[in-house]
Amino acid sequence: MSRLMGAIAATRFGLGARAGEIDEAASDPRGWLKQQIRPDAAVLPAGDLKSSEQVFAERAADYSMAGGLRPVGGAVDEETQRAVRQRIQREAREGLQREVEARARHAATTPDSFAERWLRFWSNHFTVAARNAQMIGLVGPYEREAIRPHVFGPFASLLGHAVLHPSMLVYLDAARSIGPSTLAAQRRDVGLNENLAREVLELHTLGVGTGYSQDDIIEFAKALTGWTVSGPQTARIAAAGRGGRGGRGQAPALDPGEVVFVEILHEPGARTVLGKSYGGEAKQQAAVILDDLALHPATARHVATKLARHFVADVPSPSTVARLEDVFLQTRGDLSELARAIVDLDEAWEPEQRKFKTPEELLVSAARAAGPQAAFGGAQRQVYTSLAQAPFSAPSPAGWPDDTETWSGADAVKKRLEWANAASRRMPRGRSPLDFLDAALGDLVSPRTRQAVSRAESAEQGLTLALMSPEFQRR
Amino acid sequence: MTQLNRRSLLLAGCAATIVSVAPGARADTGAASGRKLVIVILRGAMDGLAALPKIDDPDIHAHRSALIDPKAITLSDGFALHSAMPGLAALYGAGEASFAPAIAGPYRERSHFEAQDLLECGEISHVTPDGWLNRAMLRAPAAYSAVSIGPSQPLILRGAPVSATSWSPAVLPEASNDTLHRLLDLYENDPVLKPSLTAAVGADLIASGMQGEGMSNGMGGRAGPAQYVPQLEAAGKFLAQPDGPQIAVVSLEGWDTHTGQNNLLQQRLTALDNGIAALKTALGETWKKTAVVAISEFGRTVRVNGGGGTDHGTGGLAILAGGAVKGGRMLGDWPGLKSSALFEDRDLRPAVDARSVFKGLLRDQLGWVSGDLDTDVFHDSASAKAMGGLV
Repeated sequence: MSRLMGAIAATRFGLGARAGEIDEAASDPRGWLKQQIRPDAAVLPAGDLKSSEQVFAERAADYSMAGGLRPVGGAVDEETQRAVRQRIQREAREGLQREVEARARHAATTPDSFAERWLRFWSNHFTVAARNAQMIGLVGPYEREAIRPHVFGPFASLLGHAVLHPSMLVYLDAARSIGPSTLAAQRRDVGLNENLAREVLELHTLGVGTGYSQDDIIEFAKALTGWTVSGPQTARIAAAGRGGRGGRGQAPALDPGEVVFVEILHEPGARTVLGKSYGGEAKQQAAVILDDLALHPATARHVATKLARHFVADVPSPSTVARLEDVFLQTRGDLSELARAIVDLDEAWEPEQRKFKTPEELLVSAARAAGPQAAFGGAQRQVYTSLAQAPFSAPSPAGWPDDTETWSGADAVKKRLEWANAASRRMPRGRSPLDFLDAALGDLVSPRTRQAVSRAESAEQGLTLALMSPEFQRR
Repeated sequence: MTQLNRRSLLLAGCAATIVSVAPGARADTGAASGRKLVIVILRGAMDGLAALPKIDDPDIHAHRSALIDPKAITLSDGFALHSAMPGLAALYGAGEASFAPAIAGPYRERSHFEAQDLLECGEISHVTPDGWLNRAMLRAPAAYSAVSIGPSQPLILRGAPVSATSWSPAVLPEASNDTLHRLLDLYENDPVLKPSLTAAVGADLIASGMQGEGMSNGMGGRAGPAQYVPQLEAAGKFLAQPDGPQIAVVSLEGWDTHTGQNNLLQQRLTALDNGIAALKTALGETWKKTAVVAISEFGRTVRVNGGGGTDHGTGGLAILAGGAVKGGRMLGDWPGLKSSALFEDRDLRPAVDARSVFKGLLRDQLGWVSGDLDTDVFHDSASAKAMGGLV
């Protein structure tokens, strides 16, 4: 029994078993998971990867040359501008490639893979995506700076760091949202953008259909105005807000890429959100609203439902959700306590594998079992792409879906088979398919799968069948 | 046994499986009329007022002059089509395209995800696990089958087992037939993997000849206009097969234009126009019997926002095209753009219920029985009568 629980700990809670890991977890499966609940376990050192401030600083330096707004003094010719633009795009793509590889390497090797799954859950909950040249450089730093350090702290803290990170402000357009009655809005013909406010309410906190109104969205959006990212563009708009000409960029007062509160862009006055009035200091308005949203009962329900869906079943029972909701409310959203509560849920340990792996989960678990080279070959991004889940590229602010039906269609299974067929040819020689199966799945392997793998006509075919087995496709 | 024979055997086996799980389906009927329906879901909410501006509306310039294409192609009734879509304008002139300029489902909130789910499940306020097209196919007047283009099965087709498959271009090398057989055997008791692999093997054979025309937009897995042409072309190839499906569902993502809308929309409308042309070419003679409907979950705000874009709105645009369409005209009334005429003083007020168009197409293009449509396919929808004369 405890060997089966070891397999469940490593594959369902963790990201998949590395060789020997199931035995390691089996002596005390719950303890093995709980010792991973510590702030440093989800941190990924930046190494030579860029911070978001570096990304913004480089863009600011390139800005005038690339003609992002307009050529400064007309001194730069079009050809130079084009060359600079191409270099920016190439560097952004290469930067993203380094981010994807560092993240995959970490996921394939970390001994704390429950912490890493927990991180990925929250990263998906607070999705930002590489949808254009600017966002491509910002998705990796965002996860390291806004999500990783906060996933075992209070939910309110994680929410605040995610929403007010420069990447999120840019991704959901809040960096360009300006109080409609400010001087800057009138002079520059710009104004309110409600995108971030809407998605915070709908996706990050309360959840859709929980009783907030269009007015609440607009009021919250107004409270968020003023929060933006320092840089040449912000400096120009702020100059207009002060009554200056605003045509020529004034030197920004701060380093580019810092999140700043620019009061002259903030919609003045008190705001009313969900029936409560928020006056007080302009700079504090958004933070106070966010703190209230973080502790709202609808948020507890929303978060509990998503966690239960991730760790138990696509359609979790109401009692499972209620249990996690209670923990959220009683601990005021303490995410460490929530993680422990999930490990303690009996229904999360049932032998039946009810979760179908997403493509990313499939690839990471294969990389842990067989090594990154076997899982990806030399073309990591292409593999992710063909399985329709390129990292940092969720199709919408809602993040990647977490259910069987999305990922198990005819075409998806065909693509998985094509991948498994190629991956099995890259696996190290000399290891039998049955050994691989046991190391990756332990007592989760059914007799039918064991028989099919043992009867395969070649090692490659056996490994293909093991990777495609119902047990390896699920967790 | 040669490779080819094994494959043929496998295909025969899986075709039998598909027919046997389609309730009421009879293998000898259905395709007789040869009529086809293509449903294109424009995810993210296309700005219909920018794609097809009513340029003679006295209020449109005050609301959004920056978003009106100065080179728009005049059609009729005061409407002009964005100049990125000359192909569609020509179809309109030839009587093979029509537009519903103020359309929406019954949903009146503004969440993309909820609105898309409701558009696909055909409900008013609560999302069901099955899509309206799935329910329609269960009550098909003949043995219809459907294909969805793209890596995941859209909600509109989900639900009870029906004759449906999905397909998108391959990138990696294929597994051997022998491995396929062994996997199908391994999946014998698997309720998820068995039907999917069975359908995939069949779809792959139908689509043979399409390899190498895959999407290469660099980042993949991402929504974007680079996928519009290959996806619509693939749909055409499926439908044009002698025993091909009658219905295709295509999802085109990337229409959520909150900032810098003019450039974004230019690219997307161009890709959509090229995609419809590619669909027509792939369909060949079948185009004459085909109706295409392209629609978003909702429209966008009438007024331009602070970032040169638009936010989530209500009334939007539906595009109908195809040789079967009675084209060259606008569908439904124009509600006008006076502030007092707008929905909640911000959005275009819908004049046509999207369900009426879907019902009209199911009934007049594919022969569904009207009463079923009001009760079983679109629950409690008698108020949204099937729109006649679309085809």
